[in-house]
Amino acid sequence: MTMVLLTSGAVLLISTVASFGYEFLTYRHSAVRNLTTLGSIIATNSTAALAFDNAEDARGILAALKAEPHIVAGALYDRSGRLFATYPDNLPKSSLPATPAGAGYRFEQAWLAGFQPVVENERPMGALYLRSDMGAIYEALRLHGAIAALVILVSCLVAYLISRSMQRQITQPILALADTAQAISARRDYSVRAPRTDSYELDLLTEAFNHMLTEIQAQHSKLNSQLGSLHLLQHITRAIGERQDLPSLFRVVLQSLEDSLPIDFGGVCLFETAAETLTVNFIGPRSHQFAATLDLAEGSRIPIDRNGLSRCVAGQLVYEPDVRQLDFPFPRRFAGADLRSLVIAPLQVENRVFGVLMAARRAENAFHSADCEFLRQMSEHVALASRQTQLYGALQQAYDDLRQTQHTVMQQERLRALGQMASGIAHDINNAISPVSLYTESLLEREPNLSERARGYLTTIQRAIDDVASTVARMREFYRQREPQLELARINVNRILQQVVDLTRARWSDLPQQRGVVIDLRTEASETAPEIMGAEGEIRDALTNLIFNAVDAMPEGGTLTLRTRVAETRPGGPDGELEQQVYIEVSDTGLGMDEETRRRCLEPFFTTKGERGTGLGLAMVYGMVQRHSAELAIDSEVGKGTTFRLVFPAYTPALITTVRVPHLVVAQRLRILLIDDDPLLVKSLQDTLESDGHVITAASGGQAGIDAFSAAMSKADRNFDIVITDLGMPYVDGRKVAAAIKSASARTPIIMLTGWGHRLVAENDIPPHVNRVLSKPPRLHELRTVLAELTAKPA
Amino acid sequence: MPLLRALALTLLVMAAPLCAAPSEYQVKAVFLFNFSQFVEWPSNAFASPDAPFVIGVVGEDPFGTQLDAAVRGESVAGHPLKVKRYRRAEDVEPCQILFISATELARFDGILSSLDGRSILTVSDIERAAERGAMIQFANQDNHLRLRINVAAAKAAGLTLSSKLLRPAEIVGERQG
Repeated sequence: MTMVLLTSGAVLLISTVASFGYEFLTYRHSAVRNLTTLGSIIATNSTAALAFDNAEDARGILAALKAEPHIVAGALYDRSGRLFATYPDNLPKSSLPATPAGAGYRFEQAWLAGFQPVVENERPMGALYLRSDMGAIYEALRLHGAIAALVILVSCLVAYLISRSMQRQITQPILALADTAQAISARRDYSVRAPRTDSYELDLLTEAFNHMLTEIQAQHSKLNSQLGSLHLLQHITRAIGERQDLPSLFRVVLQSLEDSLPIDFGGVCLFETAAETLTVNFIGPRSHQFAATLDLAEGSRIPIDRNGLSRCVAGQLVYEPDVRQLDFPFPRRFAGADLRSLVIAPLQVENRVFGVLMAARRAENAFHSADCEFLRQMSEHVALASRQTQLYGALQQAYDDLRQTQHTVMQQERLRALGQMASGIAHDINNAISPVSLYTESLLEREPNLSERARGYLTTIQRAIDDVASTVARMREFYRQREPQLELARINVNRILQQVVDLTRARWSDLPQQRGVVIDLRTEASETAPEIMGAEGEIRDALTNLIFNAVDAMPEGGTLTLRTRVAETRPGGPDGELEQQVYIEVSDTGLGMDEETRRRCLEPFFTTKGERGTGLGLAMVYGMVQRHSAELAIDSEVGKGTTFRLVFPAYTPALITTVRVPHLVVAQRLRILLIDDDPLLVKSLQDTLESDGHVITAASGGQAGIDAFSAAMSKADRNFDIVITDLGMPYVDGRKVAAAIKSASARTPIIMLTGWGHRLVAENDIPPHVNRVLSKPPRLHELRTVLAELTAKPA
Repeated sequence: MPLLRALALTLLVMAAPLCAAPSEYQVKAVFLFNFSQFVEWPSNAFASPDAPFVIGVVGEDPFGTQLDAAVRGESVAGHPLKVKRYRRAEDVEPCQILFISATELARFDGILSSLDGRSILTVSDIERAAERGAMIQFANQDNHLRLRINVAAAKAAGLTLSSKLLRPAEIVGERQG
């Protein structure tokens, strides 16, 4: 209402001010016009007075101005500008302009004053001066102002009355609507409705408002329920995001659905495409009470017939508002369990359905479209999460494989390093034991007067040296990782078993006794066991390892049984040839192995002994078994003990094609140049070869050997018949020596001795210019054979 | 500038005596000319549209050069003003205004009658001239030159006198006979 009054007041004020301004200007204008008119009359009348210099007459004319009270002064000036007559008569001259100014009236201070010319027949006769006060204008304006004020007052009054009436009719109902709207938004109670009014138009407004409220109320409740669904979906999504395995994923989903959607029954079935069946995978924690009635225990199978399940498996969400209406076996089950409405949602990833999610409620028509949509969306999430779980499993598997591979690579690297080290060690050991081997062989051969005991000792030393040499050779096999050249020989298993028992006595008898532990060793040898073909040293080592393991497995003592047996099989079937196999068994009554340990015990570096074990023992055993085409069987039971069984094929004479029989070669007397940087080896070789009757010249290095050979060349009769040189020497190695000698004398045969001899031979890497390579430690009979062969050639 | 203003003031003071107190005939000469503004002559009073407007003086000329000075360069409705002097009444040529000099007192009536029927404004300063038939008489009254007008004589001559001319004048009744 204030608004209305202010508006009308402002409008009136503006129009009044405008009107005032207009009136003021108009009044001024008309005042000037009036004065000009008056002046014209006076001027016209006073021409004769001026022309004939009649001031009296002029004054008389001017006196007519009395009629106009606002004219306060008037004056006539003659042609020459002199004051001629004034009005009023007694007006002091000083208050008038001394001479006439330009024509026209002007407002100056409180007056309107000015001159106009007095003209007769276009001849100027003089000038008239008139001065009027502003009283007329002010009076007019005062009157105008009074009227304007009255109009404003009346207008405002009328406006006030009209707006009051309007407010009653329009504003109040609108304010009431606004109050209602405010109350609604403040309390969020959308059930409030605005009251009706008695005006038709406003009633329309109120009705529209109330209708809008009804819409808002519906939308609000819809929004709330969707928000609830969204929260639940988010909760479930987050929960399943934290799960990595299917059962826990399904559990959290079904539990959430049972608690929050809620549903009365929930379950997940997985679809087996091949079998066209669904397998119940998981039933919600609270749904188990129905599971028995529904015959849907976890693990049970549901055949897919032409019911809702087939549609669901095809990727559709199936909603049965009332299962009692359906005549298929699967819905019947639900009807039987008093669950009337059922939703089956497919779980699919990449257009492939891998399972279904079932949700049921007791009431019919219990799932709204929003519920179905929710279940559909949630199924997608669950399916994705399941897919991720599977991917996670695959990733884990791949990671494990990778780790395993990495582990293997690392082991191979360790093996390579170990092999390189072993190779170096082997070289040194071979050099070191060469004199022992040479002297022992020489003694046994050339000293017939040796006592029986000394001969026995020397034989044991020789066997030990042979074992050392073969051990060193096998050590390198780790590094080389290829089938070594086995030199097979006929072996009596009982004898070798006895040897091993003797060799390991300290380990199974003496050391345990020091700790107060008794290990009872039993040997059950089969006297009829045939011989086998094998590398004696390797088999001995393998058995030694097995015995060590057996002893380690019995920290509290027990029985260690070594057994040889003969088994007969017919690998070609019942009518096939009879074949014999020889079993060598090592049994203990110790801790035994669990499945994991039994499975992995043959892996290199796998050990249960911590720092004490290298993890190589059984790996070496397995390597030996493979190289001998034998078999290895392990019987083990935790707490009962373990039996390792080596199965060898029995020796049959037909297998042997050539048998190399060592024979003593009587060599002719030779002049031999012997080059080696190891003085001990030089000494022992020189001793043994000289005792064969050869003439030996020794050189302690490559250059020295070449020099000696050149020196001998200059004297024709002192030429060397043959050169024996080491391979690895500082500065000038065996290859350079061989090259130098062959260039000097191409026909002089060269024998190369090397700690890597086996490898060179095996790899066909015999250096050029070298006639023969022999490995260290050199065997005397081998050396003799080679010498004879090489020197016989030219003959 | 102050110097200039001082000079102007000095000139004004020196000029004042020259302007002051015009002589009687100077005023009368101006009046004679002014009559041309307040009197309307019939169109036949002029021989042609560009014929001169003649102010004649009969008898001895009392104006000297004053009259010539008053009319110099002036014209009335396209007719250039001219002053003519006549020794005797017989000499009077057609003119618009005729001043009858006081020297013609004896022949006054004769002159008037000789002009009868012609549209000539007769003016004189002879005593009681208006009563005797002159149209306008200069009269000295309280040291002021006043007009005495014989309206009937003017009307008889076909002249129209402006009412404005009559206002400050004294109207003299026509002497019949």
